[in-house]
Amino acid sequence: MSEWQPKILAILCNWCSYAGADLAGVSRMQYPPNIRVVRVPCSGRVDPLFIMKSLQSGFDGVLVSGCHPGDCHYISGNYVARRKFAVLKPLLEFIGIEPNRVQFSWISAGEGERFATVVTKITEDVRKLGPSTRLVKKL
Amino acid sequence: MNMVRLDKQKLNDFIRELSAEYSVYAPGKTNGKTEFIPVESSDEIDFNSHVTDMFPKGIFFPPAEVLFEYDEDGVREAQTSHRPIAVWGMRSCDARSLVMLDRVFGSAIQMPDNKNFQDPYWKEKYDNSLIFGIACNEPLSTCFCNWLGGGPHNRDGMDVFVVDAGDVYLMEPLSDKGIEIINSSSCLTNATGKDEALAVKLASDAESMMTAPLDTGGLGEKLTAIYDEPIWSEISAKCVNCGACTFSCPTCHCFDVQDEGKGKKGKRVRIWDSCMFPIFTMEASGHNPRALSSERVRQRIMHKYSYYPENYGENLCTGCGRCVMVCPVNLDIREVLKRIIAYKEQVI
Amino acid sequence: MNVVNDLRKTIKKLLAEKKIDLFVGWEKGSLPMAATPIFITNEDEADRIVFDITCGNNLSVYFTKDKKQFADKKVGIAVKGCDARSVVLNILEKQIDRANVVMVGVPCHGVLDKKKVLAKTDGREVLELIDGGDTVTLKGNGYELSSDRSEILSSSCLSCIYPDAQEYDIFVGEPRGEVPNENRLKEIKEFEAMSTSEKWASTRAEYEKCIRCYACRNVCPSCYCNVCFVDQNDPAWIGNTCDFTDSMVFHIIRNLHVAGRCVECGACERACPMDINLLLLNRKVAMEVKDRFGDVAGLDINGKPAMVDFREDEKQDFIMG
Repeated sequence: MSEWQPKILAILCNWCSYAGADLAGVSRMQYPPNIRVVRVPCSGRVDPLFIMKSLQSGFDGVLVSGCHPGDCHYISGNYVARRKFAVLKPLLEFIGIEPNRVQFSWISAGEGERFATVVTKITEDVRKLGPSTRLVKKL
Repeated sequence: MNMVRLDKQKLNDFIRELSAEYSVYAPGKTNGKTEFIPVESSDEIDFNSHVTDMFPKGIFFPPAEVLFEYDEDGVREAQTSHRPIAVWGMRSCDARSLVMLDRVFGSAIQMPDNKNFQDPYWKEKYDNSLIFGIACNEPLSTCFCNWLGGGPHNRDGMDVFVVDAGDVYLMEPLSDKGIEIINSSSCLTNATGKDEALAVKLASDAESMMTAPLDTGGLGEKLTAIYDEPIWSEISAKCVNCGACTFSCPTCHCFDVQDEGKGKKGKRVRIWDSCMFPIFTMEASGHNPRALSSERVRQRIMHKYSYYPENYGENLCTGCGRCVMVCPVNLDIREVLKRIIAYKEQVI
Repeated sequence: MNVVNDLRKTIKKLLAEKKIDLFVGWEKGSLPMAATPIFITNEDEADRIVFDITCGNNLSVYFTKDKKQFADKKVGIAVKGCDARSVVLNILEKQIDRANVVMVGVPCHGVLDKKKVLAKTDGREVLELIDGGDTVTLKGNGYELSSDRSEILSSSCLSCIYPDAQEYDIFVGEPRGEVPNENRLKEIKEFEAMSTSEKWASTRAEYEKCIRCYACRNVCPSCYCNVCFVDQNDPAWIGNTCDFTDSMVFHIIRNLHVAGRCVECGACERACPMDINLLLLNRKVAMEVKDRFGDVAGLDINGKPAMVDFREDEKQDFIMG
């Protein structure tokens, strides 16, 4: 049997982080193939429910990435998102979800290299944690 | 058959005997709440529990019951335990509630139009069950079984009626199954005339502890008559429409069927539902025939004291008092009934 | 007793002067441990009003429930510190018009938690409860005992800082002022000190009890969505089969929906028929909101709820480096 590979959902904003991923790709940067990308208009679109549902449906990790503060295409979407994540992350840790399972980053359209680094880091973090079990719904 | 006695010391042996053939359930404590749990010895039983916090209907009608499962290889009916169930220590009100539910799920009584619906999941469990009821010697202040045709020593729905008489349990088998189990047990001795007299005394003592009953005769007709009157919005004003009353009710039996699936695997599950929730009646078009809180509260009262009695001749309420205890806003169903009976219809 | 008398007088006056059409308060309930909400339109009924340790309901829930109920009415409402914050929050969120509500503050010394009382009486039924201020007398079949008030108070009251209404039109009785509460965060800190797996085991044991009756949501004045996300069935976000993960997702998301809006009144915890320690997570979220954004829900009637606001230079220690 092949070795277990972490499955990570990456929720990326259309204007910065998704373009950052694109740049990493066209620049032929190497990063682990463990992410599945969902493109959203803005990190402000990310309802914490999406993150919870991802964990529930069996993703081993979730990465949410948007524009750097001040760079939001919609002026303040990522500021509002930041407040949501600032509460969600400590709450998840509080109930006993491993801290590194859910991570957040800011990646601009020009930061292809940063994208590769972030994906590498979260993949390694989640690999260390092993398969997610805590919130996974079993049928 | 006459009464027999079971020394309390021998309860454990008796439970063991039962366990040979039955999965035995009795009141026990989980997470600080009393409910009916599977037991193997009498040590696990919580003898202090009065009406259990949770409701015995869950044994026969679980909060979530898998009906069937499917995967790539096909559809399979859910595996159910085929061991028959014996319940020790069910209060009179709860045993009666099973009779009420059996009319709906098991069609013990035929509907007026002679249709006979039978629910295999319920029947499989309930028909093979053995119920040891326990008489209430000290009813609570929230008990109102005597308003609704019951009583602390009521025997409806029991296979064996049990009275706690200090050091011994006095048992009276009521059904063929009950007689059989009593005859086959080695833990029992014959009761004396003194025992039987004590049982009678305990019954009358318990009766005298109950609050004076409210006459619920004519309640159904009254409800039908006042269906459109403004009393409902007054009654429901403080209700917040949570499902605490319906979920704690031993006779509420409305359910929903949900499909859960992922990839090529899935299951169909029957779950408890509550008429207090707006989504209970939400239609696919977006229209909700019971959009208002008052309409939903009315539905609950009508179902219990008008619709069900119309079909089966008895109210769908045993007076166990659980809804009175759990209601977060203290909307006491006894007060509601008093109010309805005292209400003067408006002539329109 | 003076407070109750003054409260009754105030209500009569308000109704007589036609300043309000309706008053929402508490009356003696059918059980010794529960007062029950009452809606008064008639001066004579004001004598039914009570205020004591049993008045646990946060009455501002009635402003947002079945919205037609109070529509176009001038409503008077009795408010404890937490209830007043709920009303303020509902005003900030444009659910109530400040001009249409008369807030009558009452000095709150905490409300009881049924499960703590029953722990005191070893589960024996309470037939009479006498609120004697610092001690509370409990009577039942064959017993009578007295308890320190603090031993039977709801956990929300033990961690309360603002027992008085901060926003009110009339205050009845003596305000208590802010209560310094050093142990306020003790329970949270203790929980945080546990390992991740211990935390999870504890959370799981607690939330596995959930039967999804939604009493917590329905008694909450901050939960007033027309259609709650758990009631949406197209798409269905959350399964309804009592699966633990579904219940957990429901509670986490509910917590986040009321983040910066939860006034920690504890109504949810007291309403829970399964005795889930619901408030712990709410208080953790409130603590984060206060630490990070400096915001306390419903305190400032000129403020803005935390989660619809932001500052550019906020702490973002949780963002990957």
